Amino acid sequence: MDFKRLDLVRRSATPIELDVVEAYANGRITRRQFIQRATVIGLSLPAIGAVIAACGPGAASVAPTAAGSAEPGASAPASAPAVTGGTIRCAIQKPVKVDPVSMEDLGGYGIVAQSFEFLCTQQTIGDPGGLAAGLAETWTPNEDGTVWTFKLRQGVKWQNGADFNAADVVATMERLVAAGNSGLKGVLEPGGAVATDDATVTFTLAGGNGNFPYLVSIYNAQTVITPADYVAGTTVDQRPDGTGAWKLVNYDPQVGATFERNPDWWGGQTPLDGTEFLFFDSTGPMITAYQGDQVDAIVQFDVLSGAALFDDPNFTLIATPAALHRQIWMRCDTGQFAQKEVRQALALTFDRPALITQLFKERAELGNDHVIWPGYPYFDDAIPQRTQDIEKAKSLLAGAGVSDLTATLHAGQLQEIPDLATLLKSQAAQAGITLNIEVESLDTFYNAQWCPPGATPPCSGAAELGIVDYGHRATPDVYLNAALKTNGIWNSSQYTSADFDAAFTEFQQAVTVDAQKAACTKIETILNEDVPVGVPYFYNYLAGNSNKFTGVFSSALGQMSFSQTSQVG
Amino acid sequence: MARFIARRLLLSLLTLYLLASIVFIIVNVLPNDVGRTILGPFAPQESVDALNERLGTNRPILIRYVESIVGVFTLDFGESFVNGRPVLPQLSEAIVRSAKLAGLALAITIPTAIAAGLYAARRRDRKSDRAIVLLGVTSSSIPEFVTGTILVVVVGVQLGLLPVLANAPRNADALTQIRYLLMPALAMAIVYFGYIARMTRAGTIDVLQSDYTRTATMKGLKTEQVMRRHVLRNALIPTVAVIAVQIGYLFGGIIAVERIFAYPGMGQTMLFAAQRKDIPMLTAGVIIVGIVYMLATLVADLVIAWMNPRIRLDAER
Repeated sequence: MDFKRLDLVRRSATPIELDVVEAYANGRITRRQFIQRATVIGLSLPAIGAVIAACGPGAASVAPTAAGSAEPGASAPASAPAVTGGTIRCAIQKPVKVDPVSMEDLGGYGIVAQSFEFLCTQQTIGDPGGLAAGLAETWTPNEDGTVWTFKLRQGVKWQNGADFNAADVVATMERLVAAGNSGLKGVLEPGGAVATDDATVTFTLAGGNGNFPYLVSIYNAQTVITPADYVAGTTVDQRPDGTGAWKLVNYDPQVGATFERNPDWWGGQTPLDGTEFLFFDSTGPMITAYQGDQVDAIVQFDVLSGAALFDDPNFTLIATPAALHRQIWMRCDTGQFAQKEVRQALALTFDRPALITQLFKERAELGNDHVIWPGYPYFDDAIPQRTQDIEKAKSLLAGAGVSDLTATLHAGQLQEIPDLATLLKSQAAQAGITLNIEVESLDTFYNAQWCPPGATPPCSGAAELGIVDYGHRATPDVYLNAALKTNGIWNSSQYTSADFDAAFTEFQQAVTVDAQKAACTKIETILNEDVPVGVPYFYNYLAGNSNKFTGVFSSALGQMSFSQTSQVG
Repeated sequence: MARFIARRLLLSLLTLYLLASIVFIIVNVLPNDVGRTILGPFAPQESVDALNERLGTNRPILIRYVESIVGVFTLDFGESFVNGRPVLPQLSEAIVRSAKLAGLALAITIPTAIAAGLYAARRRDRKSDRAIVLLGVTSSSIPEFVTGTILVVVVGVQLGLLPVLANAPRNADALTQIRYLLMPALAMAIVYFGYIARMTRAGTIDVLQSDYTRTATMKGLKTEQVMRRHVLRNALIPTVAVIAVQIGYLFGGIIAVERIFAYPGMGQTMLFAAQRKDIPMLTAGVIIVGIVYMLATLVADLVIAWMNPRIRLDAER
């Protein structure tokens, strides 16, 4: 440990920064977690490097990345030299909306993020779960995380030639708050963002929040910064001038979008001349389009459709560990799963490693029946992993007085979910539990089984057992708030727990590493014990590109960055 | 003939009116809250009410009905619920794309299937006839999506002879567009080849057995003359009727083929609209496909009336 070097950082650090530095120096968080957390609270890259160098390689180990992938979130570096010029063709899911304020699908996120930028963006060096400077160069919290100050990048221009400044950021935030943005709701109130000067925006939050930069980053896709006079409801093809690396040339909602290099981009000249996005309704044709050499990159695909690409030597797989997961909800208030022991029994029948092997070819991480993904910096791995134990499941059922458990397992027709239902059925049968599978179209499933509309409290009309999908979130707030908190809007298990609600509130208000981890430990313990939802795995976000290109970056939210992409010579 | 055409046109307009009314009833009269459908189950009721107000879906149903019918006849289908833009310009590109694909599929199918049907009929019960019949039954019993998938894997991916996507790059010339459309058109043509060939064969065999054909042969006309002057005109009447129906069907979009080849034609557009609950877009799609059906039937009626004047005279009586 180089204390002299470490002290240099310590002396200039704010209390929150100091907390993260100490947590790493004392081995309480891994290097990967340190980098993630440090970038979120705004510690500068030189300071992060200095801390890592001061603590030495022995301070903590780096969390493992997914098998088979190169650097998570990025394509592997090419061995051949890169050449400038050319266009990359990218397959992306057909966008539903390209209105930055109200878009809600990965296709829309991917298109909008080509021309518009965030205050904080994805880190492309090292761990992609961390944050890097975008339109904000630095950000710092006050002592309790209630006030965050963002210093904006200077010299940035909108593609129509106007100057970018703090008024644009403030207006964007006002629009998002007025629209009830799911990430900012309850965190930022109207008037909470103020332009201190042209280059500084101060956010005064409704309460302390240690994750706020995530909420104005690429991981909250609607927070792309739009001009001050942008009107909510305007789509990017109607007003395409962002600050980003690419200028929209053509947009056809059914076919695709074409971009050309923005010569005035603050980040310099992009190696490629342009990008072309082709829209697809499903993954299968994306894969064949790649195999038929009609696209060079795929924004997202699933394991079952894209298995052929894993062994393709010309394809660079970008497998990003993510919080993507399925929740097997069990009604806690009524029906056959109302007793905790019955829910635990079903969870004990899950053969999680087998599920990961069969459904994801190992490209997933074990779930432990709670929603704190192992990649979160505050994940506590001390909670014992639940494994398949058929005898214990039988014993729990007997103890609960349940002798012949027969239930219908509802599932939507989405990716691997029907196959998951089939595997769960066979695993549950080993403990004498009979599951009848009902697979329905997604619309029918959501409206009739998961959260039938009109019920009070929300989701009280849900089926007693089902599987529902959840996308990646950089923080678990949405899972905790919507799916598990008492009367949450997606609480299909109708779970009610004062202890859990208190732990969640504690997590939201926690600012320091220890406080966040302590709250998460409680959350993990409570959910693992109560099992309102079974969470068998967290699976990788899969994207990739042809080896003919290098420097492709992918978030786990449908955005693919080509600003550093070049052809391999 | 003018009277015949006028009657057929009036009948088409009446059919269009009935179609528009049925679509309106399905969309508006069946229990349905458009605002709630679009905004989802968790949207506040005030937002749902505001959206219904903005979309005009809370106005008296009679007014909406009249507007809807007028809209159909003036081709004004309103604005998309998803992106708020006029529907028709958005749909027009899908219409053109579907027309190209259906046109190419028909251009491949019609001459080959009719030629094969005629050939088989003239060699009835011989090996070549049986081969064509067997080929027709086999090809029409394999679904388009199976044929399409096989073509993609073999011709597109393994051999690399044709593009696996059907949509050509922007500003592509006609030949390039045909190259891109060839595989999906073939997938559709293979299925309809058997259907049309068998129909042609059956019609030709009927006519070849008729008294007037025997008379023409016995009075010394060459086989080719008999076929051209007497057989073809009568034998192809049922085939023309079948082709008219197929035009509407192909134009409406073989969704499976469009999906396999990622082709944003009418089928995909309507499916997308249905999934996104974009009722104006869906309504416009259904009406336009209906119009194509009607136009194709109208043209077929005129062609049939030209081929067989007795049909025209019967209708006029």
